[in-house]
Amino acid sequence: MAKKNLDLAPSGKKQKFGFGQALLGFILLLYTLFCFIPVLLVVVAAFTDEMAINKNGFSLIPEKWSMVGMNAVLRYGKQLAVSYGVTIGITVAGVFIGLFCMSMFAYAISRRDFQLRKFLNVFLIIPMLFSGGQLSSYIIFTSFYGLKDTYWILILPLCVNTMNVIILRTYIANSIPEELMEAAKIDGAGEYRTFFQITLPLLKPSLAAVGFMMATAYWNDWQNALLYITSDNKKPLQLLLVNIQKSIEFLLNNNNVPATVKAAMGGSIPQYSSTMATVLVVVGPIVIVYPFFQKYFVKGLTVGSVKG
Amino acid sequence: MNKAQYFFKNTWKHRAHVVMALPVFIILLLFNYVPMAGLVMAFKRYDYTLGIWGSPFNGIENFKFLIASKDIFINMTKNTVLYYLVFTILGTVLNVALAIAIDQFLIKQAAKVMQTLMIIPVFISYAAVQFIVFAFISTDTGIINNLFGTHFRFYSTASYWPVILTVVKIWNSVGYGSVLYMSVLAGIDQELYEAAEIDGANKWQQIFHITIPSLVPMITVMLLLSVGNIMRSDTGLFYQVTRNNGQLYSTTQVIDSYVLNAIFKNSNFGFVAATTLFQSIVGLLLMLLANGVVRKIEPNDALF
Repeated sequence: MAKKNLDLAPSGKKQKFGFGQALLGFILLLYTLFCFIPVLLVVVAAFTDEMAINKNGFSLIPEKWSMVGMNAVLRYGKQLAVSYGVTIGITVAGVFIGLFCMSMFAYAISRRDFQLRKFLNVFLIIPMLFSGGQLSSYIIFTSFYGLKDTYWILILPLCVNTMNVIILRTYIANSIPEELMEAAKIDGAGEYRTFFQITLPLLKPSLAAVGFMMATAYWNDWQNALLYITSDNKKPLQLLLVNIQKSIEFLLNNNNVPATVKAAMGGSIPQYSSTMATVLVVVGPIVIVYPFFQKYFVKGLTVGSVKG
Repeated sequence: MNKAQYFFKNTWKHRAHVVMALPVFIILLLFNYVPMAGLVMAFKRYDYTLGIWGSPFNGIENFKFLIASKDIFINMTKNTVLYYLVFTILGTVLNVALAIAIDQFLIKQAAKVMQTLMIIPVFISYAAVQFIVFAFISTDTGIINNLFGTHFRFYSTASYWPVILTVVKIWNSVGYGSVLYMSVLAGIDQELYEAAEIDGANKWQQIFHITIPSLVPMITVMLLLSVGNIMRSDTGLFYQVTRNNGQLYSTTQVIDSYVLNAIFKNSNFGFVAATTLFQSIVGLLLMLLANGVVRKIEPNDALF
């Protein structure tokens, strides 16, 4: 009887919006501001007049707006365009290669009857437990594989990730009925066709969520770029940010840089507003694209058991 | 038919699956397994011209060196472990609290918008974050010093940094961290809450007796996955946000940022290799230990 009443009035609507809810909303709002104000500051500072920052410091309500910082970024011109190209290229290639390989692997190790899957499972988990570390990777990738200053070194080390394979495998196990694949096989579809025409389309929510997380990892990767990339035409965006910081440090720490050199470099000394404008240009795309993928996050990112 | 025959027959039958598994197998082998073998250099005197495999063995010389320069080693290990503990404990509590708070808030549209804004920081690389942090804490132009009329010299005072780094880490990760827990909350049967309400349970009782218990498996999995990383850190946080400033090393140098510096300076490879081996083995042992404990208590929540 009680159950029936509840069906008529779902619990969500029955609760009234009291003091508790108001307090909860206020706390959530405060935390949202804590998260968002620094992001907002980047946008504001990028369009703030340099003199205003020097005089009053950074501020959310600047004394004077200006396009100078943004123009300075556009003056990088060619290097910025090249770096954008590199970052977009490795992101697209990495996500595509990674999703393709990982979803095939996840599919293969979800076949219950496949004897080799136990071994493959263990093989997949071990890198999560034990790793060779940065130094040994660095030496092997550079002197053994000869991958220094290549696009491959930016793509391959990040493209397979144990956690992502587990997420994909969980999705296959939970949301793609085994009967569908068996039915396809009875209808005469081969293994590859079953995977590409039945499983892969159904895997879309998970591919979207994992793919977006991978894209972020590629877009934001500064460490591999800093370790391995030396030539200007292969520099991704994040390395531009790191280089700005390096040149600021160089000017601050070197008192013996002659005044004439400093004057000559005047035009290229990174200033507060132009630095923030660079940050905005580098970070902007991923932040703008992300809301379109957010709906897949809760649905596509479920982590199941590691055991398989 | 014996076992081996059956195995080969089964593998032949699944040859398509073997082919499908091959690309990931090769990538893991080249980029994860071969570097593991490279750890052997912890027992070698590394010579650039001879490479990892050709360099001569020197027994435990590197570890003796490590013990001899124990001040650096102890400092960075202490920092690594303490930051791990603070980030993991505080992070988990806040992730869960935020997930429950968003889930409980009745105005769903507002909750959605706020959640979207909270997740944004995770998409900003630390190479970019360091400029944002600078805008807040620089001595002359920083918002904090301007707002309070103070003159803190954050970039030359090591003692402030545990707080600064913790705030930055929380800002960066909690919004996104709560998403995983929200996916569990979305799966809780609403009838449980309805039944509890009929039995007279208030909101807090519902949270403590229904919501939190249903999150425990996910919390356990996430904690287990992180235990293996106790000796590792978010390198960007410690290398970029601190601007790799030597004055701050006493509170900000972690093993990973030390290793990165050593690679750039091309120095101390023996010491670094010994440290890395120690780092990897401690991580492995703690993970196995934690997993063993969990398997004793609640077998279903164990990782393997």
